Amino acid sequence: MIRARINNVRHETPSVNTLTFTWDHAVQPGQFAMLWMPGYGEIPMSFSSTGKEKAFTVKNYGLTSSKVLELVDGDYIYFRGPYGRGYTERKGRSLIIGGGSGMASLRPLINDDSYGIVSAKTRSELLFRHMFHEASLMVATDDGSEGVKGFPVDILKDMDISPFKNIYICGPEMMIFSIVKYLADKRPEAEASLERSMKCGIGVCDSCSVSGFQLCRDGPVFSVGEIANMKEYGHEKLSFSGRRVPVT
Amino acid sequence: MVNIERNLCGIRLENPFLLASGILDENGYTMKKVMEDGAAGVVTKSISKEEKTGYKTPVVVELEGAMINAIGLSNPGIDAFGEEMKLAIKCGKPVIGSIFGSLPDDFRAVAIKMEEFGASAIELNLSCPHVVGVGLEVGSDPVLVRAIIREVKGSVKIPVFAKLSPNLSNPGEIANAALDSDGFTLINTVRAMAIDPHARRPVLSNAYGGLSGPAIKYIGLRMVHEIYRETGRPIMGVGGISSALDAVEYMMAGSAAVQVGTAVGMHGRKIFKELTLQLTEFMKEEGIASLDEIVGIAVKK
Repeated sequence: MIRARINNVRHETPSVNTLTFTWDHAVQPGQFAMLWMPGYGEIPMSFSSTGKEKAFTVKNYGLTSSKVLELVDGDYIYFRGPYGRGYTERKGRSLIIGGGSGMASLRPLINDDSYGIVSAKTRSELLFRHMFHEASLMVATDDGSEGVKGFPVDILKDMDISPFKNIYICGPEMMIFSIVKYLADKRPEAEASLERSMKCGIGVCDSCSVSGFQLCRDGPVFSVGEIANMKEYGHEKLSFSGRRVPVT
Repeated sequence: MVNIERNLCGIRLENPFLLASGILDENGYTMKKVMEDGAAGVVTKSISKEEKTGYKTPVVVELEGAMINAIGLSNPGIDAFGEEMKLAIKCGKPVIGSIFGSLPDDFRAVAIKMEEFGASAIELNLSCPHVVGVGLEVGSDPVLVRAIIREVKGSVKIPVFAKLSPNLSNPGEIANAALDSDGFTLINTVRAMAIDPHARRPVLSNAYGGLSGPAIKYIGLRMVHEIYRETGRPIMGVGGISSALDAVEYMMAGSAAVQVGTAVGMHGRKIFKELTLQLTEFMKEEGIASLDEIVGIAVKK
């Protein structure tokens, strides 16, 4: 287990904090760690910064993450990793499509030549929107409190995507699934980072598998072409105990 | 030409390498993929009558040359697992159903359904080292072991293997109590724990788990050797196998086939094809035509 001291805690949205820490280790954008809160469980967490100063951007959604949000500057974090296959970084203009806390894994990819479609349930939950130039940013919210009322795919369908050398996607399963369906024959090389309930992080427990692929080892980043061939994606997943349930 | 096929109690295996229980065998699509990627067959996750949630995370500790896990026998229950079996057996290779419970009745009910779902054999988990009231707690009681095997053998036609623990203080006694089975799977993980010195507490949420990987190979070899010498029964050897030579040693100790678990995590699903290539190469070099020539060769009869 790696232990690091938190340099800084930044409040991003009412339910999301970014913890920065110094860790001199190579990490690819899109890779993740298993973040351990001693006594309160372990959760997969993508790196939201991959330079010499690393960061985790954590949303409050369960016991472990709620405890992570109580951490302050100078506290310690514990994690193991980095794990998985990250995004393929290519030079050129990129389109970054993020939903909710999915923006965290995409953040290291944002540069001066990036365009963003940032989405969330509501305005206050839009994450990392200010990292894009105002003219390169499009916003969608479920409730219409800002930008387009709807989903990123609705914006995408009205866009000319030919100028974008790279398209990167991360967010809730149904958001990614709708984009995969739209892009499958247009841009199969576009990449998305997937999320499933994950226990081990090292390719043994089978919790995070989709159509035979282990997200923790083969992914979490896959090409849109690969995802389009995964029959389970967007349809079914296994619960914590391994029960097959529909994806909603 | 060398022949790496195996016949395990009438089950045809295209090579001696099966996926061990508890690794990549919860989802039917995954089991199918592991077989497509070269495993001769799979042993499913251990399944019980009712759904079981298992332990909270952390459930694994990753170590140099070893792993400790305490998933806690999480499973959806035998009825729901039918769907995964259906997906897995589409591959056409043998799927061995691992089952657990507390009482002979539980084992019987689950075994009957596993057979209905198309399992090629049953593996009785009598050896999980870290869950109260099942696994090793059942598998260290010779009276209970005898009763469970009698009950299951009387209810299914497919072969039944007893998976025993290296933590037993009386392995010979338990193996004798299990002689109504068709064979053995040896070994399960070794009871262990890890402590984080900075956090000052056990890493696993359950504190105790099972040690696996190369660190336990020599314990497994000893137990396979011991039980093969005592009983001469077919054995699936498992514990720390990550190369063909490891498998050869297990076969020389008396294993008819072997299972690979932790090494799949360490090296990926592609390990099955690599093991098969390495084994074929070794047999050519050593002038071994069939694996029957080496099974148990290191055991004095």
